[in-house]
Amino acid sequence: MSDKEYRHIGKPSDRVEALEKVTGQATYTADLEFPGMLHAKCLYSPYARAEIVSIDVSQAKALLGVKAILVGDDIPYLVGLYMVDKRILARGTVRYQGEPVVAVAAVDEKTAELAVSKIKIEYKVLPSIQTIDEALEGKILVHEDINDLEYIKNVFFPQPDSNIASWNKTIKGDIKKGFEEADLIVENELTLPAVAHAPMETHVAIAQADIYTNKVKIWSSTQSPFAVRKLLAKALHISTGDIQVIVPYVGGGFGGKAGIHLEPLVTVLSRACKGRPVKLIATREEEFNQLPTRAGMRGRVKTGVKKDGKITAFEIFYDWDSGAYADYGVNVGKSATYSGAGPYEVPNIELHSRTLYTNKVFSTAYRGFGHLETHWVIERQMDMVAQKLGMDPYEFRMKNILRPGCLTISGEEISENSGAPDQCLAAVAKEIGWTGYRSEAERRSNINTGKLRGKGLACLQKAPAMPPHTSTSAIMQMDDDGNVRIMIGVVDIGQGANTIMAQIAAEVLDMPIEKVKVIWDTDTSRHPYDWSTVASKYTFMGGNAVKKCAQNMLLQMKEMAAQALRSSIEDLAHKDEYIYLIHHKNKKIKYKDLALGYAYENGNGIGGPLIAKGTYMADGLTFLDPVTGQGFPALDWTFGAHGVEIEVDIETGDIQIIKIASAFDIGQAINKKLVEGQIMGGVLQGIGSAIIEGYKFSPEGKLMNPSFTDNKIPTAKDIPMEIIPIIIENPQPDGPFGARGVGEHPMISVPSVIGNALYDALGINFYNLPFSPENVALAIGNGLKK
Amino acid sequence: MCEKHNNEGTCFTYVDSGLKKVLLSCIVNGESVCAYIDPTMTLLNFLRRELKLFGSKEGCGEGECGACTIIMNGVAVNSCIILALEAMNESIITVEGINKNGKISILQQEFISHDALQCGFCTPGMLMSARALLDRNPNPNESEIIEAIAGNFCRCTGYVPIIRAIASAAKLEREEMKNE
Amino acid sequence: MECEYKKNVRYLSDAIRGSTVLSKFDYVKPELLVEALNYLEENDGTKILAGGTDLMIMLRHNAEIPEHILDIKAIPETNMLEYKANEGLFIGACVTVNQVAESKLILDKYPALVQASNLLASYQLRNRATLVGNICNASPGADLAGPLMVYDAKVHISSTEGSRIVDINSFFTGVKKTVLKRNELVIGVFLPEVLEGDSSIFLKQARIKGHDLAIVGVTARMTVDKKIKLAITAVAPTPIRITKLEEILSSKALTAELAEMAEKEVHNIIKPISDVRSSAQYRIHISGVLVKRALLHLLTMGGK
Repeated sequence: MSDKEYRHIGKPSDRVEALEKVTGQATYTADLEFPGMLHAKCLYSPYARAEIVSIDVSQAKALLGVKAILVGDDIPYLVGLYMVDKRILARGTVRYQGEPVVAVAAVDEKTAELAVSKIKIEYKVLPSIQTIDEALEGKILVHEDINDLEYIKNVFFPQPDSNIASWNKTIKGDIKKGFEEADLIVENELTLPAVAHAPMETHVAIAQADIYTNKVKIWSSTQSPFAVRKLLAKALHISTGDIQVIVPYVGGGFGGKAGIHLEPLVTVLSRACKGRPVKLIATREEEFNQLPTRAGMRGRVKTGVKKDGKITAFEIFYDWDSGAYADYGVNVGKSATYSGAGPYEVPNIELHSRTLYTNKVFSTAYRGFGHLETHWVIERQMDMVAQKLGMDPYEFRMKNILRPGCLTISGEEISENSGAPDQCLAAVAKEIGWTGYRSEAERRSNINTGKLRGKGLACLQKAPAMPPHTSTSAIMQMDDDGNVRIMIGVVDIGQGANTIMAQIAAEVLDMPIEKVKVIWDTDTSRHPYDWSTVASKYTFMGGNAVKKCAQNMLLQMKEMAAQALRSSIEDLAHKDEYIYLIHHKNKKIKYKDLALGYAYENGNGIGGPLIAKGTYMADGLTFLDPVTGQGFPALDWTFGAHGVEIEVDIETGDIQIIKIASAFDIGQAINKKLVEGQIMGGVLQGIGSAIIEGYKFSPEGKLMNPSFTDNKIPTAKDIPMEIIPIIIENPQPDGPFGARGVGEHPMISVPSVIGNALYDALGINFYNLPFSPENVALAIGNGLKK
Repeated sequence: MCEKHNNEGTCFTYVDSGLKKVLLSCIVNGESVCAYIDPTMTLLNFLRRELKLFGSKEGCGEGECGACTIIMNGVAVNSCIILALEAMNESIITVEGINKNGKISILQQEFISHDALQCGFCTPGMLMSARALLDRNPNPNESEIIEAIAGNFCRCTGYVPIIRAIASAAKLEREEMKNE
Repeated sequence: MECEYKKNVRYLSDAIRGSTVLSKFDYVKPELLVEALNYLEENDGTKILAGGTDLMIMLRHNAEIPEHILDIKAIPETNMLEYKANEGLFIGACVTVNQVAESKLILDKYPALVQASNLLASYQLRNRATLVGNICNASPGADLAGPLMVYDAKVHISSTEGSRIVDINSFFTGVKKTVLKRNELVIGVFLPEVLEGDSSIFLKQARIKGHDLAIVGVTARMTVDKKIKLAITAVAPTPIRITKLEEILSSKALTAELAEMAEKEVHNIIKPISDVRSSAQYRIHISGVLVKRALLHLLTMGGK
């Protein structure tokens, strides 16, 4: 905990853009209208796997107001972040029910939809891959050309003639020896289904192509404008600089708007329409059925422990049902290798993470980037091992939890400054009054009431999953009224990080936060580069860049002031928007009098407009060894824990969350209000994954719940009775003011902690999500005797 | 392709349903509005496309998510599943109409100070449900607040700050009423 | 695993449902009942628009492509919500679900109807959805059907040929099908008077605590002469009265043991399907649970 008194750091400042949002003035991409703008609609594959025999667009073409119709054969480009395996429109074969096959641009949405309805496609339906086992068996290949696909070598490992888009591993120590040393070996298999991001704003993109050059201007609801630019340039064989991506307000992303999605399609449509702007808004059904999801996953875990609870070995297989294209999903699979054993010391481990192609809607980045899924497996396993050991799961975790001096499974040493998972666990255990598992007798004594209570604990960890040489940058300028403008290429998608940047700049410059403006509508041709708004890295990396930028601005001001005040820079300090001489405080110059350079009384001018820069490069990180998974991938670790008390109606299977306490060691809360907002929002999204959400597919691979009617998300009536965010602050020395990220973490381990509480309440272990009333009631019916 | 205007790159004609346009007149945010519209147009699209009031959002198009919530004749409704023509002679309030003479209302201010929004997409609809609640019940308890917003999905906030903001706004509005 | 009701719904495209209304329709809003009935007579395939919460979604998905939409909200008879002592309660076709839910009189006399109304859907939807619309849509899981059935409500139907009254218990004929002829309009629903001491309850199981379609809905009523009426929705092609069980329950004094017997007996009577919302197994299980709970509730109420 820092004992410094800050002006802005740690204060619950209001969100800088709140006024725009509460008045309806905030402009999102679907709100944009341009002269001559056309509207696009797509026709999708009804089959999970089929050959496209013929496409007849003649009737659609004849409609008044239709300006372009494109099919896969018209677009010879391939797109992909890591594996270049996707067409902009399906060509030859379709690989998932919901894959776009034809796109129409027309003067209005009704005309586009009418045109779509008149397109006739003949398919030859083929058998498809619907399960993890079918994918592994490999009798049918989702990508028959997998051996020829372009991909990033030594990072991803597609297996020839298979459906394995990548097989990544961590191998540390010797698990054979580890299991021999163990007094007890526990093996389990757990699964969880795909879920939707379900941001309230669906994907939307507008493109305006310049038909005389390669240039294209794109407005998109995206988390990664610079990645869109780079990937689109690669796909279309044009230069990065030819593409301008502008990001209006974004109505939530949760990872689903990272990478590249609708942008290539609207670009080729605009080109086909002689450069008229083309807008494509995903409907909610398309958001569920065409656009990517979080992957389903099956984890098989084998743990060896000694009698005293010390873990000796882990053998883990994560198999990701990642859908028809690798997209970001393959990186989720890879990232499981450095973090997929939880925040514990594991001396011997073999972890296999296989990202599998299946004929379903494909998966992409999702809040937690695979960590909710892996922690579902690991944190349930930890409890089940404790059960078999006859040990308190709190004690079992504390016995193995990462402490300074321990090594992570990728070989990184935890230090005093890494954060303290044990403090998080202790805090939540205390908050829920943890005293160990209930006994069977206690359960029986309450059965007549029809409601059983239980408590659970679970830990979590995550570091940003990003390339080791990821960077971000910021530019600041000052206007002659002393207002400061920050340009940073990271996107505020609602997480509130732009406000954090304003707080950091205002702190360094010691000025009112109202005078620090973060410039919205991130624009790749104006804002400085940032890799992508993902990975809970904005506060950390963006914050460092802005901190350096503000310091750079101070230096520029001091350089001019030193001349004007005829002193040396070391004798200058700053306070309340003044640069002043330390020993003669009344010799001072206002910031705003330096904003455009400094003018002497006689008219001489020195210096020039203040334009400051700050860059941050993640330093000291390395790639992972392709065989052993060892390396230094983690910019910063955020550890956390949840403690929950639930009540189960044993007849209906309904779960009421009485209290959930969630603790995170975030180093320094720059804005407590925003951090608590992330915690409350993330925990509820985790509850959604735990109790409510899950894609359902028919045996033929058709999505059965492609709308809010049957793909529910938590409503205001689904919140816990009490939610207690706990902020723990062991500073991160290289974080801005000691801060670490927390955007994704609140969601991780929520399903695990509820699963653990269900065991305490019912004496039943659950291995699959969600804990719908049906799944719980039927398990009770099969398990608990009345 | 589009025979009529095929040779002109710039064809600005909306075709829409092709039906003859029909006159709609109603009151929106206190102002009389008259427009000829496609009779198949939804009320949400009328507000956004005809009146350029983009505050109300489409989140699902089928009355589930509440992002399109407006107040029509004093009650909160989902404008995405109402035909524009059904608003004939009715009075409509959108998020653009809940300010007080150019100043933001107590309700909006409480949303800001309680951080009852993150990405902001559900916020207009949420404010309208809250406004309709406080108009009919100036002293709602927590479960009444929750019921009023149960049809407004929010993926970001976890709802707790929103509930607190509405409760706080209710209290402040009652105090303001007493002082008037 | 296709939903039963989907077999009756047409989609233009098999793949992802459309999202833009393609219908080209005439929209009329008469102020006289006779005009409405004539319009209905003259224009085949006319869709009735009251709250629109079902119709608008059908239009959006292009599952219905009507050429005529008849808005009945201006017709005075359809807006009546009138109770006459010793006779009963008339709920007009355009009375919204919230109007029913917020009526103290209805809560006092027909509590299950208010409970079902509150659980139908979100507040915004309830401000538009109508009780009559819910039964005309005739989903197997129509929340308001059960309460109307246990009160033996009467459906008032008019056409150019005259009027008729159909008992709600004979109103549903199949999944999303009713006895209504193509030229007929439901004017409203009439619930006969109930005596002091009559009690009822509606219980619904959904997937979430928020608003959702019913996995199962159970309505139970005990009349002043201790007769039990029981209706269950979402377990058959139409909402159903469990007359077999009603006879058993009405022939003895209601006790906790009888309630538990009823729970088990329900398992033998209903034959629900599995669909995307629930397995048949859970539907059977939860039907029993809710029947038992409903009866236990009536038991405690019966003391007054």
